[in-house]
Order: sequence, then structure tokens, then C-alpha cells
Amino acid sequence: MSYLPCGTYFESYADDHKWWRTSFIQGKMIFMLVVLAILPYVVDSQWLSVAYTINYYILAGLGVQLLIGYCGQITLGHAAFVAVGGYTCAMMLLLVPWPQFMVDGGLAYPVTIVCAGLLAGAWSVLFGLPSARVKGFYLIMTTMAAQWITVPLVITQYVAQIGGRGQAFAIPPDMIKIGPWVIDTDTKIYYFSVVLVGICLLAMGNMVRSKLGRAWIAIRDNDIAAETMGVNIVVYKLIAFWVAGFFAGVAGAFYLSALFFVSPEHYEWFFSLLWVGIILIGGVGSIQGLVFGAAFVVIVFKLLEIAVMSASSALMAINPELGWMTTKFIFFKEASFGLAIILFLIYEPNGLSYRYWQLKNYFNLWPFSYTGK
Amino acid sequence: MAENNKILKINNIEVRYHEVILVLKGVSIEVPEGGIVALLGANGAGKSTTLKAVSGLLGHEDGDITDGSIEFLGEKIHRLPAEQISKRGIFQIIEGRRVFDHLTVEENLLVGAHLRPSGLKERLETVYHYFPRLRERRTVMAGFVSGGEQQMCVIGRAMMALPKLMLLDEPSMGLAPLLIKEIFEIIQRLNREERIPILLVEQNVKLALTVAPHAYVMENGRIVMDDTSEKLKENPDIRDFYLGLTDVGGRKSFREVKHYKRRKRWLA
Repeated sequence: MSYLPCGTYFESYADDHKWWRTSFIQGKMIFMLVVLAILPYVVDSQWLSVAYTINYYILAGLGVQLLIGYCGQITLGHAAFVAVGGYTCAMMLLLVPWPQFMVDGGLAYPVTIVCAGLLAGAWSVLFGLPSARVKGFYLIMTTMAAQWITVPLVITQYVAQIGGRGQAFAIPPDMIKIGPWVIDTDTKIYYFSVVLVGICLLAMGNMVRSKLGRAWIAIRDNDIAAETMGVNIVVYKLIAFWVAGFFAGVAGAFYLSALFFVSPEHYEWFFSLLWVGIILIGGVGSIQGLVFGAAFVVIVFKLLEIAVMSASSALMAINPELGWMTTKFIFFKEASFGLAIILFLIYEPNGLSYRYWQLKNYFNLWPFSYTGK
Repeated sequence: MAENNKILKINNIEVRYHEVILVLKGVSIEVPEGGIVALLGANGAGKSTTLKAVSGLLGHEDGDITDGSIEFLGEKIHRLPAEQISKRGIFQIIEGRRVFDHLTVEENLLVGAHLRPSGLKERLETVYHYFPRLRERRTVMAGFVSGGEQQMCVIGRAMMALPKLMLLDEPSMGLAPLLIKEIFEIIQRLNREERIPILLVEQNVKLALTVAPHAYVMENGRIVMDDTSEKLKENPDIRDFYLGLTDVGGRKSFREVKHYKRRKRWLA
């Protein structure tokens, strides 16, 4: 060879597949974990709730990222599966006659989380069945059907009527308990969410770099070629739907710990769109992208909220007669979300994760990059 | 050759698209154990359709085998879905280099091992032994490697599956002549050293006839000729129509074009 290659090269297959391959990555990840650990001591509870909302969106978006980003099955009804998870968890906590030792030992809530995942997964497979026959735009319609059938019909009209409670189910606060820890403060919710997100991201990361994930990506990139390689397309699509539904169910069950009640308006179609938007902003087909997208959307929403609040209070201070104008600001959030997606599709079609990748490459080669300039 | 040596037998199959368009009008092909068989013919003759019929991919194009049968190792496979057929060891390399763009070259190879996930490292080493260029490019996304490397990747991917029969659809499509030569040499070596039987569809008749000892010529959904390559190379029609070697040589006159058409009609 006439040139000497530079950079990090790995000698064995095992080195290739390590999670933390270089000491720099190791340091970076440990730094990130430390930041996550000390965050509650640095920020106030308002921003802590932003942090766990980000984590909730990551959990819910994982399934969307898996289906759209990895398996190529466009879904616009993911809030339905989150709803199934949330309601399963709430109904089980309220209606199952838990033995006293499970309530005291804090086992009831973890069990319901798993059940919520399993049931949401099954529900998701049900609506994934059409994917055996239809692709692309037609699949969007069938997944939208999941949303309309699940939330406004099944949950609002039937599930929410159980026990004559009306629509919302409030959870007794001491039921949300894992082992000895009662999850009742923002800090605890935050730590709980970090642990859940950690587990789910690890599971997802391992899945997409295994045989399962390669089969999904193969189906996304070229389903006919995947079929000739012996990948059973229908089965793998349904596995993708099941796993996506499972993550959604876990997300729904988790959010119960933050809200202490469930109600159909937390699972509106807007959220299905929001999660698709998050992965568009963050980057399709990248787990990092999901994290970036969720953080971006939630933080921008929060900043807009603060801006609108301070603008309206300033307006009120100048002239209380103009108070009606503040109501006109309320829908800025949704509008800005639409605008953000449009801007991202035009200027950053590969999402934030692509920008991050470029940044990493720049610093990998810095100061001797060979851009030809 | 003895009858029991044939691993693939296509018996007089008829294929229809959309239930009306008759594409294959009774095609019979036999592939011997450890051999290379070439399937030649002009565009639209039905070569790719024949391969798709074997590998079970007709369903994607609303095609169906309406008559005849396909036997692989003594088992009738023409009613099986594609992934069942690949489970039995038939792997098609679809035309047009269908790599999985967003997987690295190595991950592409690993998808090939989907059905036989043991002993991956040894098999990867075998593939890299035949295609040293793939080893250099193994961490690059397959969508970003050159066309020749993609073709190697696709052939390597099929090798990873330890095929009992490889169906190669136009491996030379859109590649530089030198690269085509290289790829064909590797195909020949694969057949010789790994004993993988190959059914090869090819437009490049000259090259195909040097690689394959036996060839079928298709036209209009029928097999019109079937002979050893040596004899086919000598056949005046093949020389005329496929190899472009006329005895007269040079430019064809209008009269010869008429003669060409007349002969071709007779051939079909």
C-alpha cells in the first residue's frame, strides 16, 4: 500500500462489535451518565419534568423509529399503542385484587408495566397484519385506523366506562411503587425514566445490530432481495410491530407514574404525528436521532411556552384590556412544530443525527481533514 | 449424463403474468450437480422470469406458474413461497445489484447467513478469500461502494448462505469489461472449488459460453436451442444473432437484414 491508513482499526470481530470501542467513547459515555445522574441537583423541578417528558417521548418514539426508521413500515397511529399500555397499567393497578405482599413489596407496578408492554405488543401486531399485503401510503391508512379504532372508540366508549368512573382513571399514589421506592417526586420520576430509557435503548441497540435488526433493515432497503436471502418478510414485519408495540406499552405505563391518572386526551392523534415528527427531526433510522429529536422538540416547546407566557404577562402589564390576545398565542406550539418539520425537511433532511455524525467526523480528522480545500 | 445427477429440473413450465400475459410457453431446463448452465437470449425472452419462477419471486409481479413443475433435489418446489425455497438452498442473485444500501458490506454478507447463522467467521473469511476487495470495504455502507464491489457483495451474500444452487441474473449488467472478466473468473472458481451449481442468465453470450459448458437459448418464452457451449459456438445462427460473427463480416446490407429476420422467424 502506498499510503499509511490512520484512525482506529480493529483486529477482531469481537472488537468490531463492542459497545464502547475506544477510550474516548468510553469517557464520553461516562461523562454523559454523570450528567444524567447529577441533573436533578442542578435544575429545578420545571426542567426536570422537561427531562422526563423527553424520556417519555424517547420511549414512545422508539417503536416509531423501529417501524419507520428500521423496518420501513410507516405508522401514524402509535399513540394508540401507548394508550393501550397506559390503560392496561391503570386498569390492572385498580381492578386486579393484588395480594398485600405485592403491594407492599412494590411488585404490582413492575408487573403491570410488563403486562402493558405485552398487551400493547399484541394490539400492535393486530394492526400490523395488513402490512403483509400493503406497503407505503396504504399502510399509513391502516395504522391510522389503529388510532381511530383504539382511542376514540374502544378506550373512550368502552374501557373508560368500566366501573362507571367516567373517562379518567386516577391511581392511588402509593400504588406507583417499585420495590421499596414510591415514585412520587419529580426527581424519582426522572431517575425511573432514565433507567427505563437506558434499558430500552440498550435492548433496541442490540436488536438492530443482531440478525433481527439486519433482517428489518434488509426488508426496508430491498424487500425482494431480503426474501431471496430467506428472510420471512411477514414474520419479521410482525415482530417489528410487536416490539414497537411493546416499547409503546412501556412508555404508556411509565407516563402513568408522572401523571397519576389516564385519560383519552393524552393519546390523541397529534401525539402519533408528533412522534413521527420527532424522528424526522432527529434522523430516520438512528437511535441517536430519536434522542436528539425528542430533546429538540420538548425543549423547543418548553421555550416557546415560556416565551408565550412572558409575552402575555408583559402584555397584561402594559394594558389589561389586551389580555384576550394572549389566548391567540396558545396554538403557537403546534404551529411551530409544523414549521420545524418543514424547515428540517428542507434544510436538514437527514436529521440532527446526521449533523452530529458530520461533527464527529470533522473532529476525528481535525486538524488534518482532507476536504480538498 | 445420468438422470439422477440433475439437481434442478424445470419441467415444461408455463408462466402467466396478471393471469393473461403468457410469458413462458413451456420451458424445460436441467441443471446438473456441480455444473454451470447458461441461459441466453434477447431482452424479453423470459430468462429472468424463468429464474423468478425457480426462486418463487413471481408473486411480487403478480405472476403464476400455470402449468408444469419445478423439481429441486427430487422435491417439487414450484408452489412454495420464496423463503421456503431459499431454505432448501436455492439463492437468487437478482439483477441490478440489490444490496441493502444502509447496511455495511459486512452486514450485507451477514444477512446472507440469515438462514444458517453458525460458523459466521469462517464463512466471512471464505468470502473475503474470493473477494479480497470486500475485506477492504467491509465497514463501508454498501450503498456507497462502487458498482463492481456491489456486485461482489451480492454474490458474496449468496455465498454466505451456503447455497445448493445459485441463480445468477446478469452479473455483468452495467459493469466495465475488465471488471466483468474478474467477476466471471470468480464465478468459475466458485463453481470449481466450492462445487456450487450455477444457473446463469446472461446477455453477454460470448463470455457466458466460455464460462458455462452447457447453455440454453431462449426466445419468445421458449427454449429454442440447447447444447454444449462448444457446439453452440459453432452454430451459424448463434454466431449470427448472438455473437455478431458473420462469415461475411462488416456491415450488413438491407438484404441481409431481411435474411436475418427470416432466419430468426424460422428459429422461433
